[in-house]
Parts: sequence; C-alpha cells; structure tokens
Amino acid sequence: MKLQIVMKSWLLKIIFVFLIAIAGFLQYEYDNHADYFRAQKTFVTLPPGKTLKILSFGFHNLTADMLYIWSIQFYSNYNLTNSYLYLEDIYNAITDLSPRYKEPYLVGSWIMAIEAKQPEMAIRLLQKGKKNMPDDWMFDSESGYCAYKYKKDLKLAEYYYSLAASNPNAPEFLKRQKAHMIFLEDDWDDAYIVWLDIYKKAKDDLERTSATNHLRQIKFEIDNRMFQARISSFVQTYKRFPRSLNELQRVGLIDEIPKDFDGKDYIYDPSTGQITAQRMSIWKKSF
Amino acid sequence: MRIKAIAFNTFKEAVRNKVFYLLVVLGIVSALSSVIISMLTLGDKEKILKDVGLASIDFFCVLIAIFTGINLVYKEIEKRTIFNILSKPISRGSFILGKFMGLSLTLLVALSSMTVIFFIFLFLATGSFDFKILAYFFLLYLELLVITSISLLFSSFSTPILSSIFTISLYLIGTVSWTFNEFKNQLTPVANFIGHILYYILPNLAKFNIKNELVLDENLNSYLIFNGILYAVCYTSALLILTMIIFRKREFQ
Repeated sequence: MKLQIVMKSWLLKIIFVFLIAIAGFLQYEYDNHADYFRAQKTFVTLPPGKTLKILSFGFHNLTADMLYIWSIQFYSNYNLTNSYLYLEDIYNAITDLSPRYKEPYLVGSWIMAIEAKQPEMAIRLLQKGKKNMPDDWMFDSESGYCAYKYKKDLKLAEYYYSLAASNPNAPEFLKRQKAHMIFLEDDWDDAYIVWLDIYKKAKDDLERTSATNHLRQIKFEIDNRMFQARISSFVQTYKRFPRSLNELQRVGLIDEIPKDFDGKDYIYDPSTGQITAQRMSIWKKSF
Repeated sequence: MRIKAIAFNTFKEAVRNKVFYLLVVLGIVSALSSVIISMLTLGDKEKILKDVGLASIDFFCVLIAIFTGINLVYKEIEKRTIFNILSKPISRGSFILGKFMGLSLTLLVALSSMTVIFFIFLFLATGSFDFKILAYFFLLYLELLVITSISLLFSSFSTPILSSIFTISLYLIGTVSWTFNEFKNQLTPVANFIGHILYYILPNLAKFNIKNELVLDENLNSYLIFNGILYAVCYTSALLILTMIIFRKREFQ
C-alpha cells in the first residue's frame, strides 16, 4: 500500500516560513555563542611564484593583484597568532608573479619590519625589488630606514642611504639621511665633511637651512671635544678651570681659538668649564 | 558576395544567442566591479582597475570565441541546414570563410562595446585616457581570431563537447607554452626535439598578452607587436585552410 501525503498549498507555505524562521533563530543563537574573533592559528599554503605564474594561464598580473589584496586583508586580521610564519612566502609569491609591481615590496616590508619585527626579512624583500627595478631609488631608501629604525644598524643604514643617494633620480634629502647616519655613528669629522658638501651644493633654502642646523651642532661637537681635552689638561696642571678660553691659548694648549659655524665666539663658563655655542640645534643622538 | 551573406547571417545568428548577451553583460559587469576590488588595496588603485578590467574582458571574450565557435558548423550539420546551403553555388571553402568572418564580426562588436564602456569607466575613475589600452585590445582581438579559427576547426568535424575540450586545452597550452623555453635544456635530446616541434606547431598566445607593459606603464616593443600581428595572420590562415581541407572531405548523411 503506497503512502500518499497530500498537503494543501497554504500549509506548505506556512511550514516553509516556519522552517526558515527556525533556521534564522539557530543562526542567531550560533552567533551569540561563537567567538569569531578569538585568537586562533591559521594555515596557508601557496605554490612557489614561478609555478603560480604558469598556473595563472596568462593572468599572472591579476593573480598577483588578488593575492596582494588578500594579503592586506589577511594581515589586517590580528587574531591570527601565527600569520607571520607565512609572510615571506606570500610576498615572494606576489613579487614572483609580478616582479615590477612596486606596492607589494613596500607594503610587505612595512608589515615585516613594523608588525612582524623582522627587519632582515624586510630588507631582503626590498633588495629583491631593487634587483627587479634597479632604477628605482625607493628600495634602497626604505632599506636604509629599516636598518636605522628597526634593526638599529647605523652602518648598514648609511650603506643603503649611500646607494639610494647615488641614484641619478634620487631626491636630495637622501644625501642628508646618509649624512645623519654618519653623525649618529659619532663619526663627526666625516659627518662634517658630508654636511658641508650638502651645504655648499644646496639647491634651496630648506636644504641650506637643514645643513646649517646640522653643521652648527657637528662643529660644536668637534670643537667641544677638543676644548674639553685641553681644559682637562689645564685642570691637571693648574688645579682649576681656565678663567677664559684665551688662557688656554696663552699657556700654549691651543694655537687658535676656533669659532662656531656662524663665525661667532663660543661661550665659556669658567665655574664649570663648559662650552656652549651662541646658536645651536640639538639633534637626537639616541633612537 | 556569398561569403559576405554567410558572414552576416552568422553574425545575426550569434548576436541573437542569449549566451552571447549574457557573456557580454557579465564581461562588462566584471570589468566595472574592479572599482570595488580596487578599494581593498593599498597603493596603486589604477593598476588594480586596469588589471581586473582587462582580465575580465579578456576572459569573457575568450569564452564567447570558444562557445560560439564550437557550434558554428556543428549546428548547421545537426539541423540539416548544411544541405540547403551547400546545394547553392557556394564552395565549402567559402562557407568556412563566411562562418569565420561572421564570428570575427561578432567578436569585434562584443569587444568594441566592452572597450568603449571600459574606456569611459577608466576615464571617469582616473581622469585620463591611456591609449596603450587600444594596442592591448587590438592584440586581444588577434588572439580571439586565433581561438576562433581553432574552435571552427574542431567544430567542422567534432561534437560541441569535444570541440570545447580541445579548444580550451589548446587555449591553455597557448598561454603556458612560453615556459618550454625555461626547461627545454633539461630534456633528453629526443624529448627536446619533439618538444621543439610541438612548441612551434601549437599556438603561442603569450605574445598577444601585453597586460604587464600596460598596467606597469612600460614601453611597448614595436617589433614584437608587429611579429604578433604577422603570427596571428599566418596561424589563423593556416588553421582556416586546414579546416577547409577537412570540411571538403567530409560527407554528410
């Protein structure tokens, strides 16, 4: 005997609405209990960039774009606890797909240096960009900043800023960056030479003013170093501070009293033996 | 005149096809959706706009070329209208040529409409005209002619399903055949020899793809573009001749 279920049309509609309402309610309850933004691990697997390029069947630029956009959303998601494990692979894949696409190198390096705290990884990515776009000074400039700010390696920063500044398309401020790195390394003599060169070749007031401010401090640091050494010798001999800088000259400790960068006399405090310049800008030494 | 009549008839039939309209509309919508995708990026939005837009138009035009082309001849045979046509004083070769020109005209209309809309959209989004895009669309059209000649070839002796499989396979091979240059030295001498023969016989569609130069604003190599144009003319002509040879020998029952 066959069982036949015959339902009226209106009853079917009511059952449909009822079931949809139940499904909606269940979803509401699920959302109340689920923690979508809890800390959790993730897993990402990508073929190497060259393989992806073949698998994209001519749409490698589009694939690079989509992967790049996805990576921005992925790294904006801070509840993923192990996302930085895949950082270098993801950005290598994007840059292999489209080697002359600039933004992934820059954005990737920022995520690596600032968020993942891996400045060496950032510099590797930036140098890969330089290899693919040798005419662009930006990669060396960013490498220099990364070395200075995040790796705290002034020598390396100086090296990259030097490379960036030597690019014919590079803006003038990169020379100032290089000079500032030399200053931060406490190599005042070289810093003075580099800043003086910038001062003499300055093309606008901003550059000239910047160079002047740096030179004031550097000249002071160089002269102060010499003064303090001479004053120490004087104190050892005469058991007191010199009454003036001229006294140092009289006793033969210095041949000539240097002036500050503006050609003005230094101000000497005989009670403390300290020297100050009449006008000086102090640049941060620690970073 | 006969070729022209068949061409126009093919064109009218193709543009009446709902699938054709659907693919054109989808292509346009997909290209215009690039503005939403570009909002998700950090940096050069214009690059994303162009990339997604051009890729969408490329993809959907290829679909039009394949799915319209595979039915071109087969439909006539299946509906037995081929007997009516061939009973007229028209050669089989002219018939094939007319079909090809009809589909070429269809693709030209589809591509032109997508190009105009995309151009206007890009101008509104970026405020500038990039005329290199015209070079891209010209090369894309040549690529579509090659794909059309491939789909017409298979349509002349095979069913639509098999024709679509073969055409899509050759299209995919055509987009990756450039990779042969990367690994040919790792092959044995015999494999290298066979590989070279296949490499030169099978279509190489990568030469029509100048998306990279376009979106990254690089210079176009005029020699390579001229080479691509000649290649498209030669390859398409060769496939059409092959189609005519096969179609001439075909018997209809």
